[in-house]
Order: sequence, then C-alpha cells, then structure tokens
Amino acid sequence: MSITTHRMTFPLTAEDARTLRAGDQVIIDGEIIITAGLPTHARFLDCLDDKEPFPMDLHGASLFHLGSYSRETDGQFEILYINPTTSTRFNPHMPRLIRELKLHATGGKGGLDEASAKAMQEAGCVYLSFLGGGCTLLSEAIEEVLEVGWRDMLTHYRVVRLRVKGLGPVTVGIDAHGNNLYTQIRDAAQAQLKAQS
Amino acid sequence: MAITYELIKQVTAQLYERSLKQIPDDTRQALVGAGARETNETGRRTLQIMVESADAARRKQSLVCSDSGVPVYFMQIGTQARFEGNVKQAIEDGFAELVATIDPPLLPHVTNPLTLERGYQGKGMPITTFDLVDGADYIDITCSPKALGSGRWAALEIFSFPDLPTIENFVMETVLKAGSQPCPPVVIGVGIGGSFDYAAKMAKEATLRKIGTVNREPILVEMEARLLQRINKTGFGPMGTGGDSTSMAVHVNYSAGHGFTPVAVCFNCWINRRTRARCYNDGRVEIME
Repeated sequence: MSITTHRMTFPLTAEDARTLRAGDQVIIDGEIIITAGLPTHARFLDCLDDKEPFPMDLHGASLFHLGSYSRETDGQFEILYINPTTSTRFNPHMPRLIRELKLHATGGKGGLDEASAKAMQEAGCVYLSFLGGGCTLLSEAIEEVLEVGWRDMLTHYRVVRLRVKGLGPVTVGIDAHGNNLYTQIRDAAQAQLKAQS
Repeated sequence: MAITYELIKQVTAQLYERSLKQIPDDTRQALVGAGARETNETGRRTLQIMVESADAARRKQSLVCSDSGVPVYFMQIGTQARFEGNVKQAIEDGFAELVATIDPPLLPHVTNPLTLERGYQGKGMPITTFDLVDGADYIDITCSPKALGSGRWAALEIFSFPDLPTIENFVMETVLKAGSQPCPPVVIGVGIGGSFDYAAKMAKEATLRKIGTVNREPILVEMEARLLQRINKTGFGPMGTGGDSTSMAVHVNYSAGHGFTPVAVCFNCWINRRTRARCYNDGRVEIME
C-alpha cells in the first residue's frame, strides 16, 4: 500500500487532522509549540486547575514533545537545536490536555497510550512521530522563535513557540479515527509471542 | 614514559564529543542494508532519513541527538601500562571541560536520583568501569553515553537453571515492553550467567561489539540468529511505526555461574553511540572506532 505525504500548515484544525491516516507522512509549515519537560506537563495540569496561568495560549495548539536548547542574547532567544523526546512519559497528562485545550496535533517519539488515542479521536487530533536522533535535520526547519515561556525552567523544559518551514517528514503514528500504530503493533507482537511460547 | 593525566583527559573528552556527532561506520552500513531489505514503505523512508540525519550531523559537526545522555566509559587497562597522575580525576575533568567548550552546547542530563535536580555534574559521574588486559602496554577506552532511548528499557531477571527457550523468551518480553520507545532499529546486548552485576556488565559490553562480527560460542551464534529473526518479525520497525527493521544486531555474552542464572538485556538506539581509542605508554593514541 502506498503512503501519502501531506504538506500542511500548522497549527492544524480538527478538519485537517481528520484528513490524515495512520502511516501517512506530513511535512510541517507554520506554528508549533514544543516542550520536553515532565515538570512542564505537571504545570500544564495545574494551569487547567487554575493554579497558575498558562505561559502562552495553548488552546487549539499543535503541541509537540520536542526538547530545545534555547539561549538568550541581548533579550532575544535563539534556539540552537530541537529533537523529540519519548511521549509515553506524558501518558498520564495527555488525555486532559488534548480534551481541555482541544489540541489537534501532538507528537514526539514512541507514541501514546489508548486513553490518549481516545481523547484524540474526540478532539480531532493526530499524533506525529518525529525522528529520534534527527537533531541536525529537524533544527534546520526553524524559521523564527516566536515566544519562550517559563524561562525559569531548564532549557528543554521551557515552552517554546516556533515558526518552522519544511519540518519533517513526520509519520502519523495515531490518527483521529482511533488507529494507534503503536498499540496495534504491540498487541500483534504479543499475540505472536504467546503463540510461540 | 607513561600515560599522562592530560592525555586521558583529552582523549576521554574527544571520544564523548565524537560519539555525539557521528555514528559508527558499521551502524551506518547496517542502516543502509536494512533500508534495502525493508518491506514497509514508511519504515524504508524512516531508515533513509536516519542515514541523512547522521550524515548531516557529521558534516556540520552538530549533534545526532539532543539527548547527549550521561558519560559512560569502559576502560581496559593493560597490566604493563604506566600512569602519571590521577586517572579517574582526568576523566572527570575531561567531561567538565567538554561541557564548558563543546559547540553546540549540551543539555543538562546528569540527574540526582534523590532530588531529581539536573545539571552537568553528579556523584559517580562519569560512570566508568575497568577491566585488565594481561601483558598490554596500553589502555583501551570505550565511550558509550547512555540516554533515555539507550538506557531506560534495559531489564534483568534471575532464573533457576533456565533452558535456552526460557532465556530467549525473557529477551523477547523485554523487547516487547520496550517496543517503539528505544528508537529502533536497536542493537541489543544480552548477558547470561555470572552474578547480578556481572550479567548487566556483560550485556552492556555485548552492545559494544561491532555489527557483523561472529560470536565465538557456537550455541550463541545460533541464539543470536534466532533472536534477531524473532525480533525483526515483531513489526515495530524504524521508530516503532511499522516495519521489519526493529533490530540491527543481537549480541549475547555469557559466563559460568551458579545454577541461578541472571539474564540481562539492554539496548542501544539506532545511533548506536560508541567510540574507542587506545593510549600507549609512549604517548601514542590510536583511534579504534
């Protein structure tokens, strides 16, 4: 079966997200928000509980689990590089974030669990798999640093809004129709192992 | 003449930097080979981008992956090697100097497990293990930094008088638990026997073996082939989004032990960080890989 490559402008809308199928590839233009922090995700949940304000508007965002090295020179932030981190660490946080912020794209590497996939189906949201070890290539797509939030945190935990051009290709690992490549492959492999044992 | 503090400091820092900016030649070759065999189109494209990414990092002298991990060294010390100055201090100072000077700068990954504070220094860093080589007039230093993908999914279990299928099924269970998370296609190291700590050390050392080299133990030659075939049939594929290329190699070490048999399994992600150099008493440095 041949796969489709889409070039799309981000942040994605729910309609955009629903046009994608698990296994498709996407090249990203436009605005994305990134962070690799576990403490950052805990703070996001605090924000949903009105314990503190969000560092920037995340409503309807394309929020990716990408870490970044940010450096401030004369009040201007530059991002030296970006790269994905393992998304499964955020399994406990993502269902609420996807539903309540109405995220239409998320991603990183390694996928998310079924609870997140269910929230994604409801919100019209896709999970995009970035290349782990893609630091140099992915970083070439950065056009502009638009905003850096929670500057008090470690550099890869900060929340960074970027304008990118030609980021990817990335693979749709979980689509908005309930197809989760990660759990499908794992379940099939487990059945195979059981049959062999 | 002797191997000096300055030389060890310099060589250990260089090995780390090189391991972050280029992948080993055997690994690049294995990725290209996997790309030629891969039947899943997404998997094939992902393998192609992996090679492009590694080539771009090497060309630009930038990082292959932003998770530069924590520094891990394995030193084989020749019994005829002579030292001038402190060896462990040299490794520690080499890492500190690298952190201060490397371009682009590294993210702070060294974590205090008791407070979860992160930085560039910490108790026991760099992690260094030692071994002896009888009669050699050199030290052989391997650098293999450990990051989340290459460190988090390792496992160890102790069995009583296990048969080979029991051992192999434990490897498979560990591979399934890791799934897409260690950035496949991975190199898998397995240590069988010895003691709790020694099995883990053997597994780690097994990941450092060059891809394509043949195990000296015939029983393990067959075990490695069986495991590689089973792992590549799981379907995880490159980055875990599907395909036949889940592992580039399975390397198994063993040691005699008691009837209780520890089995350790660990991973190296697709970038397979591994550099090695040999420092001689006369000051020569030979880059091994």
